[in-house]
Amino acid sequence: MTVTLEKPAGRPRSLRRPQLPGARPGRRQADRRPRPAPRPAGPPSSTDTAASVLSTSFTMIAIVCLWMAAQLLFLGSISQQRAQDLLYGELRTDLAGATAPVGPVVPVGDPIALLTIPSLGIEQVVVEGTASGDLLAGPGHRRDTVLPGQVGTSVVYGRAASYGAPFADLPDLHAGDEIEVTGAQGVATYTVLGVRRAGDPLPQPVVEGGGRLTLVTAEGAGRLGAIAPESVVYVDADTTKAYPAPPGRPSVVPDSEKAMAADAGALPLLALCLALLLALTLGVVAARQRWSTALVWVVASPLAIALSWASTDVVMRLLPNLI
Amino acid sequence: MRRALALALLVIGLAVPAAAGARPVVGGGFEGSRGSGASAPSHLDRRTARAGAPSHLDRRTAKSGWSETKTLSRKFVQADGSTYSFPSHTVTVTADETTNLRGRQRILIRWKGAQPSGGRASNPYGENGLNQEYPVVVMQCRGVDDLSLPAKKQLRPETCWTASVVQRSQITRSEGEASWTHDLAAAPEDKGRITGLDPFPTAEECPAADISPYFTKLTPFATAKGETFVACDADHMPPEAAVDAAFPPAEIAAFTDTDGTGSVQFEVRTDVENESLGCSDKVACSIVVIPIVGLSCDQPSTPMTISDQACRKGGRFPAGSSNFANEGVDQAASPALWWAPSNWQNRFSIPITFGLPPDTCDLLDPRPPTGFYGSELLAQAALQWAPAYCLNKQRFKFQLNQMPDIAGWNLMENGGGVAAEVSSEHPRSGTDPIGYAPTAVTGFAIGYQIDKPDNAGEYTDLRLNGRLLAKLLTQSYLGSDLGRAHPGIGDNPLAIMSDPEFIKLNPGLSPNAQEAGATVLSLSNSSDVIEQLTDYIAHDQAAMAFIHGKKDPWGMVVNPKYKNIDVPRADWPMLDTYVPETQNTCRQDNPAVYFSQLAAPVSTMRDIADALLDSWPNVQTRCEKDLGTGLYKLGRIDRQSYGSRFMLGIVSLGDADRYGLRAAALEAKPGTYVEPDSRSLAAAVQLADQRKKYHPFALDQGDVRRSGAAYPGTMVVYTAARLQNLAKDDAAKVAQFIRISTTEGQKTGSGNGELPGGFLPITRTGPTAKLFDAAQETADAIEAQHTTGPAPTDGPDAGGSDGGSVAPPPGVPDEEEPSTEPVPSAAPSAPPTAVSMPATEPVGSELAGGLLPLLILLGAVGCVAATALRVAAPVVRRRG
Repeated sequence: MTVTLEKPAGRPRSLRRPQLPGARPGRRQADRRPRPAPRPAGPPSSTDTAASVLSTSFTMIAIVCLWMAAQLLFLGSISQQRAQDLLYGELRTDLAGATAPVGPVVPVGDPIALLTIPSLGIEQVVVEGTASGDLLAGPGHRRDTVLPGQVGTSVVYGRAASYGAPFADLPDLHAGDEIEVTGAQGVATYTVLGVRRAGDPLPQPVVEGGGRLTLVTAEGAGRLGAIAPESVVYVDADTTKAYPAPPGRPSVVPDSEKAMAADAGALPLLALCLALLLALTLGVVAARQRWSTALVWVVASPLAIALSWASTDVVMRLLPNLI
Repeated sequence: MRRALALALLVIGLAVPAAAGARPVVGGGFEGSRGSGASAPSHLDRRTARAGAPSHLDRRTAKSGWSETKTLSRKFVQADGSTYSFPSHTVTVTADETTNLRGRQRILIRWKGAQPSGGRASNPYGENGLNQEYPVVVMQCRGVDDLSLPAKKQLRPETCWTASVVQRSQITRSEGEASWTHDLAAAPEDKGRITGLDPFPTAEECPAADISPYFTKLTPFATAKGETFVACDADHMPPEAAVDAAFPPAEIAAFTDTDGTGSVQFEVRTDVENESLGCSDKVACSIVVIPIVGLSCDQPSTPMTISDQACRKGGRFPAGSSNFANEGVDQAASPALWWAPSNWQNRFSIPITFGLPPDTCDLLDPRPPTGFYGSELLAQAALQWAPAYCLNKQRFKFQLNQMPDIAGWNLMENGGGVAAEVSSEHPRSGTDPIGYAPTAVTGFAIGYQIDKPDNAGEYTDLRLNGRLLAKLLTQSYLGSDLGRAHPGIGDNPLAIMSDPEFIKLNPGLSPNAQEAGATVLSLSNSSDVIEQLTDYIAHDQAAMAFIHGKKDPWGMVVNPKYKNIDVPRADWPMLDTYVPETQNTCRQDNPAVYFSQLAAPVSTMRDIADALLDSWPNVQTRCEKDLGTGLYKLGRIDRQSYGSRFMLGIVSLGDADRYGLRAAALEAKPGTYVEPDSRSLAAAVQLADQRKKYHPFALDQGDVRRSGAAYPGTMVVYTAARLQNLAKDDAAKVAQFIRISTTEGQKTGSGNGELPGGFLPITRTGPTAKLFDAAQETADAIEAQHTTGPAPTDGPDAGGSDGGSVAPPPGVPDEEEPSTEPVPSAAPSAPPTAVSMPATEPVGSELAGGLLPLLILLGAVGCVAATALRVAAPVVRRRG
């Protein structure tokens, strides 16, 4: 009732409004660029337009690139740490409730084990699946191998530079270092055999009843090596005491879950994210016609940041999984 | 202009006959092939010629068929001592299969030249067939007609099986019903008042038998073990003849049409089904066919007694008439006196032999069996194949354990079984590559048992299309008025017989709905058969439109619970939840989902075949009150009565052939209906192609729908086994089985090791040659067990690619190969000495390496450039 009463009162204001923002941007532009303002009125020269377009384009390129770099290096760590916190809690509950997975088939993205490397100070919850998107949350277990801690060879992938870079320091491991894996069946302690790069011979076959853990990440060379992981590096570790592995695990994984592979399946999602960004831009343009700039800023910036964040996460899925 | 017109006329002239020639049902062509190969005479009418035809692949008529001709006539000795003969009948009886029969197998018996029957009964089996005139009695008897054999192995009326006492004995008949006492062929001692057994049973044993002045003639039954049942009342009959016995009566008083022809599918019983009769591979038996031409009568006394007159009666029903009311008939022309010597001497005795019983291998071969697990489609073949393995010491002991295809597959994959019998590709869950070897070509059929209205015999031309099957499977028929209140489909037909689409396709059937007509008896568990059937539906546009909710042209809609159900699928779920609300106390006490009671799927196709044999639908809607507890209970409805049978079920072609079940023609090309026979199966095999070595052949239902000659239910059964990590002796057994079953096992016949009917032989040449080659190839690979053999799914082209420069296959999976991993069944693991290992392959990505530096660089450049432009632009302008 009250609403219907108020409405007539509000209408004149809303009617008047469109004129105000129309005037305001003009004035603001004038304020911001005092120099062009005094120039005689007339069509802006072609040099003017070109300069403005170029400058805006470069700004956009800079924003997009820097945002992305920032998310890969810094913002991503935040989300990865949060994901780890949640996964840790979940795994703890699962272990306590004896409901942690033992394989052979585990839903992708579920926490399966806690990986601890004391010498490097790494403590990460390993999730199931090695697609680029799965590795955003933490190291991922390759699905066609046994779970860490079980008899046979288990392979775990981890990111080297982005999203918390859990495996960044992996190449610093030495033979004899210990890796501890806590899974559904118990704790397994692996001893590192060594770091293996392209051309090195594969380690000897696993002894019967033993287990092997192969950690996989990437590394770069040179001054920018820390942020340019381009070749795959392996760390093999063996244990003599491993737990039995149930049969029936898949014999192959999709291409997107192999080392340095990308997941092209994220393209439609990316299109959706970009469309939303576009919609947001149009929304901002429209809103500036009606609302004050401050209001538009307040409303639009969180949306813009959230959308950019989400879009970058999707872009990450299209990039090689070990970055 | 004129030339164009002439050309057009020519084209039309050529096209019209061609179209007309293409018109008939494809299965129709099978009659021709059957007629030429078999002794089926061309002047038999179409109905009888077709009667056994559907689904009978390569019948061995020429080899194991049987035929005999006799001249029968009825004679009266007149009062003056002269003999009067009725016109004689030259009767020819043929049987299509007589050797190596199995329990419940149905064989087709046909005759021509017989006296036309009258007073046709709606149910000709057992005692229900007694009230007919001039029928042809067909029954199974122990012993054979061979005078050189000892009396024990001879055929006598006492060794012929009947399921009731009135079929064999005449007890306390009045004189007017004692025509047998004047039988011309009877010995004088058989013409007395009480005859049939000497000494005659005492009054204590048979109180009703000897009551003066009534006449009694007993035909005792002698069991295989030598026991004699005097057959004077129901208590003195063998146990298998009890009321509501496990099997319905098989003996039949069959009807001869007015042109003197007739046919019947006679079900034979072994000692497993009927121990008293006791026929087996060791005890010879016969099928006795007695065309009743009427009793021959001896010289009457003057004046004629009532029994003299009774003997001379010639029937009260005109030829071809029906006897719906089950009225009494003239005894002299009825089947009840089949044992009377003048009838008995007219018999055709068809000697039959039985195959080895299913448990032969268990009894004769003490070796442990090697189990193959899976498809029921192979059941009939395995029954004949198994003795060829276990009775030959050079071979292993083969055993087929029937289970859902996927269960057999899983057993094979995890080492529980050496090989699986499957009929489609299954996803691998283990690491070992699997090879598929084609072993048999067969398939499924929609079996049916449908009677034409007005006692006109069985319907033999059923045609079904994808939409009708979809309607049946999606439970879109209402069944009865109980289904009317089902939300959303209340206006649908009650059952398929009242569906206008079905009536249009199969005209001339009774449109009276029965609950059994609302469903097709199907499998409750997962099966490749269901997958193929639903795949067939999935390729039928009309059927899919129906499933997606479009009304059919007559306004029928899909059951909303099944709307948009995913097909193809290997198991068919029961999704409906509708519980009818009714005043019926029984249903109120036992609330149940009505449509699930109608469908009531079973777990094996053999059960479906049995249900069809007995025409006993598995519809569970019968309500009974248990008088003991006063509680209501639901159960299976009664067997359907003859004359109004209607039942559909999914059966294997092997079962359909063995038990003489009719198979529906399925729509292939729109408007073309294809029956399963050797030609349509071969056409389907020709369409199937193998995608990869050791893989199965895929039959695309889309191709089937285009070809118009291929039977959509064709399925190839494969022996699937691991190509790696199978123990060596097991691998040798599997390879041996594949080789033997694709060579020796493809010889059609009914003997041990031969291929039964319902299967298309796989041969070196012809359309099945590719299957033969694939089988040999796979057998070699299975036997070889190459450890580094072909890994069909992980080829060198399987590396990841992200548009950039992603590398060759990662080196990691190599070391994950099971060869380095202790598999429980694997041979001793790697020796402790160092093995030279291959080098790690380089895997890398320039994109991964360059991305971050590039981003930062670009960002920096962008910042600098933008700033520079901002700063520089006014400067430039001012100068300008």
